[in-house]
Amino acid sequence: MNGESTQPHVPLHLSMDDPEPMYRQIESQLRGFILSGVLQPGTRLPTIRALAHDLSCSVITTRRAYEDLERDGFIRTRVGRGTLVAEIPEEKMSAYRREAVDGALREAVRAGRRAGLSEEELRSIFEETLQGEDTSVHQGGTTS
Amino acid sequence: MTGTPMISLRAIRKSYGDNFELGPVDLAIEPGYVVAVVGSNESGKSTLMRMLMNLVQPDSGELMLLGGTYPDDEVAIKQRVGYVPERSLGHDEMSANSLGEFVSHWYPRWDGRRYEDLLERARIEPNEEFGKHSRGVQRRLAFALALASGCELLLLDEPTAGVDPFARREMLEEITRFMDGGVGRTVLFTTHVMEEVRRVADYVALLVDGEFLGLHEKDALRDRWKSFWLDREPEGEIPGVVEVVGDGPPTRIVSDSSEETAKALSAQDIGIVRSGRLDLEEILSHLMSRKQERRRA
Repeated sequence: MNGESTQPHVPLHLSMDDPEPMYRQIESQLRGFILSGVLQPGTRLPTIRALAHDLSCSVITTRRAYEDLERDGFIRTRVGRGTLVAEIPEEKMSAYRREAVDGALREAVRAGRRAGLSEEELRSIFEETLQGEDTSVHQGGTTS
Repeated sequence: MTGTPMISLRAIRKSYGDNFELGPVDLAIEPGYVVAVVGSNESGKSTLMRMLMNLVQPDSGELMLLGGTYPDDEVAIKQRVGYVPERSLGHDEMSANSLGEFVSHWYPRWDGRRYEDLLERARIEPNEEFGKHSRGVQRRLAFALALASGCELLLLDEPTAGVDPFARREMLEEITRFMDGGVGRTVLFTTHVMEEVRRVADYVALLVDGEFLGLHEKDALRDRWKSFWLDREPEGEIPGVVEVVGDGPPTRIVSDSSEETAKALSAQDIGIVRSGRLDLEEILSHLMSRKQERRRA
């Protein structure tokens, strides 16, 4: 029976300080794992009941998260086979990735404006950060 | 939630002399959920559970279980209900094996292999007399009998009382496994332990001194109730605020509708230093004390 087989586990965490509703936290973390390839297409996800147990939340919350993710094409539920990570077309994947980066950059620009930085200053910070990150990534690669 | 409720109570009342009155209780529990009944001692939790097993009859009101009523459908209902009573089973001289044999006659869907498996997992010696086990092991044995019955509805009256934390953890996992074992399964359990509510409950039914304070969706409570630390005291009425602590700044307020409260705070240009969810225990004690204040007033 389904309940007797071992349940897969996913590295999700609910933060009680995060103002986002709990189902949204689950959604965005799962979406992140799927987009970054941590959860590959075809990976079996826990049942809504098992996930609720792991996260100490209710099935109302986990069901809502799964329903939203299924509607957006990230996961699919098959009767008798449980819930699996869906195959996402490459162009959709890169669009989603782009979306996340766009959002983070917009937020960074807003933070800069709030701090009273000029466009020129922002541009040079961006360049410096880009180069700094480049070196650290490179170094990380050679030391391992 | 739609369909026939697993449990439906309408205007249920029960009193014992002048000392205790339970109700009116109006409650509908849909299949597929785990409901924790929480309340102070002597709040009527066990009376409610015994009523659902027809061991106590309500003075008035309507009670339905799995679509049937007592006494007409008693046999049909009880074949689909696994029950762990608050006190011992009343068969201290019987061993786990003979209890299994005895109980199996009641349940057409009794699962003997599952029972053996549960006893093994709980490390219960099958030939030892019930009365010779510790209270905690007795609880686990009663729980194993209920789980192996092949039931759709589990009624558990303080199933983990006297059980050590490790065994309790395993019992909570059994509840989750039971729920995942079939569509429409339902659990109603009474408890004093908040960790159990946090872990397995979808809904919380609150009882205080016999008064029923409603069925609450656990996560809706936790998403709505928040505490805010403010850089100055708000002026006038702020919607949702149920408590103001400290003569700050910073001042801590507790809100039962955090979105509305945050909006009103930002309209007054009050800075939120920190905000966060409340512990479930704190929310429930607010709900309980609110009712008691109203009664005193």
